[in-house]
Amino acid sequence: MRARRVTLLSLAALVAVAIGAVGFGVANIASLDVLAIIGKSLFGLPVGGELSAGSTAIVMEIRLPRIVAAIAVGAALATSGAAFQSLLRNPLADPYVLGTSSGAALGAAIAFLVPITGIAWELGGVQLAAFIGALASVALVWRIAGIGSGEERIASVLLVGYAVASLLAAALSLVMLASGANLRAIFGFLLGGLDGVTWPRLAAAALPIAIATLLLARRGRALAAFLLGDEAATHLGIDVRRERRVAVALATLATASAVALAGLVGFVGLVVPHLARLAVGSDPRAVLPLSAIGGALLLLLADTVARTIGVPVGVITALIGAPFLLWLLHRARAGYAL
Amino acid sequence: MSVNETPPYELLGAHNLQVNLGGTTILRNVSLSIGPGERVAIVGPNGAGKTTLMRALSGAVPATNGEVILCTEPIHNLSRETIARSIAVVSSDITLPFATRVEDLVALGRIPHGRGPAGPGAHDRERATAAIERVGATHLQHRDVRTLSAGERQLAAIALGLAQETPILALDEPTAHLDLRHRMEIADLLTSLAGDETIMKTKRTIVAIFHELDIVRDGFSRVLLVSDGTIAADGTPAEVLTAERISGAWGIPLERAARL
Repeated sequence: MRARRVTLLSLAALVAVAIGAVGFGVANIASLDVLAIIGKSLFGLPVGGELSAGSTAIVMEIRLPRIVAAIAVGAALATSGAAFQSLLRNPLADPYVLGTSSGAALGAAIAFLVPITGIAWELGGVQLAAFIGALASVALVWRIAGIGSGEERIASVLLVGYAVASLLAAALSLVMLASGANLRAIFGFLLGGLDGVTWPRLAAAALPIAIATLLLARRGRALAAFLLGDEAATHLGIDVRRERRVAVALATLATASAVALAGLVGFVGLVVPHLARLAVGSDPRAVLPLSAIGGALLLLLADTVARTIGVPVGVITALIGAPFLLWLLHRARAGYAL
Repeated sequence: MSVNETPPYELLGAHNLQVNLGGTTILRNVSLSIGPGERVAIVGPNGAGKTTLMRALSGAVPATNGEVILCTEPIHNLSRETIARSIAVVSSDITLPFATRVEDLVALGRIPHGRGPAGPGAHDRERATAAIERVGATHLQHRDVRTLSAGERQLAAIALGLAQETPILALDEPTAHLDLRHRMEIADLLTSLAGDETIMKTKRTIVAIFHELDIVRDGFSRVLLVSDGTIAADGTPAEVLTAERISGAWGIPLERAARL
């Protein structure tokens, strides 16, 4: 079947690009050496030949955590974006539609102002604050819009999300005005980036990301029914209230963890699901897994460019994503309906 | 089957059904019993409770009092999936947020029969193709649903309901927004679909809401007149659609009702 073929091909491309990306950088390391280093370090394989300690350190301590982070964050954002687009029946929905990004930004900005040092910083105090901020803002939207009550209206969910995000953005501006020397750090978080990802911080974020993303990618059956609206989904045997709660909770957990790790990386969650639909049609059972792989691939490529030229990855995704979205919309006018 | 005969068993029924929504009583004292192979039209003025009746009969709204029987079981004892394998409800306006081919839309009708995260399998695809063929829409199967005309979209919606493979097909105003010819085609299709044998080895039951009384007179053996939240009359079109009843239910002068 076409969907399965496209998905497997994308997965193969992701693995190949990942291996290439580990080797690529200021110190170029051949792909075979990359495999040897990973095999030796992670699995204790008896690999022969000369592997320099420098190369091993670069691969294992600097590049590999960053690349795994890019894959996890990209997959989480694109899968959540695809889920929110189906759930809210809105092609403009992205993972941040319920206020995740502004909540995370405010949480992180406050954390930058509070002097965190030592062990708390090592474990990612800013990340934790961002995570809590993201969950808090979604909880607020959830409560006001009555998600899962059975009475919610999609338009009001979107409007409540927008209103809460605007309020938090205003609070963020106040914090930034008061931040003085920390302004640069806050700004860096807003742009999104994977600089200095370490194994402990990665592990803390990657575990919830992996669990939530994998579970979400398996909710396609209910999300497929949601394409037709709540009433029709009910008539197709879906427990609309429960499935909406589960999908929003999983997408929020994945997004909040991704934001905590990488800051506000834009466009991946908006654009990749549309690309996936172009390839395999609109059924979420095909779109969700392909979005996960496609999001990982896109963010990995963008981050490889970002670290090569030394800019935050969020700038690269916006530079690729925004024109791509415009191209999609142009195509929509020319006949393909978004 | 004549209306006055007792059906072999109760496929779809309501007993003293009352439905309150938002504190208002929408339906009250509704009792009816529908058997296999019946073609039942629901008519009545706007706001009389036709759609709520259909939603209650398909378990989309709970009964406040009384009960709904589906395939001999009280509907509140059945899981959503079991209900969806017994009654398919065809919406009169399908809107989709993304470009979707007709064949992919119709395959969504297989959701109640599916399990797990995988998309429609070969058997589901085959059932969807058969449903599209049954409504005569094979030439549309690769088209984007959102580019279809109103009549074509209605065919796709009916195919979606057929793909559910249920003994009962319920339709909420399947002829809304259609021109004369398309209305006739849909009415003829429904008559023909009622002759099909379903997976339960009985003839398919059709329950449909209409505003056009001519369609009801031509194609339906039984009419439920819903007026002011209850069933005002239940019988053959000749019995139910009299000038007096039409005049009373819709609040129009008798001499004009006589010409309808």
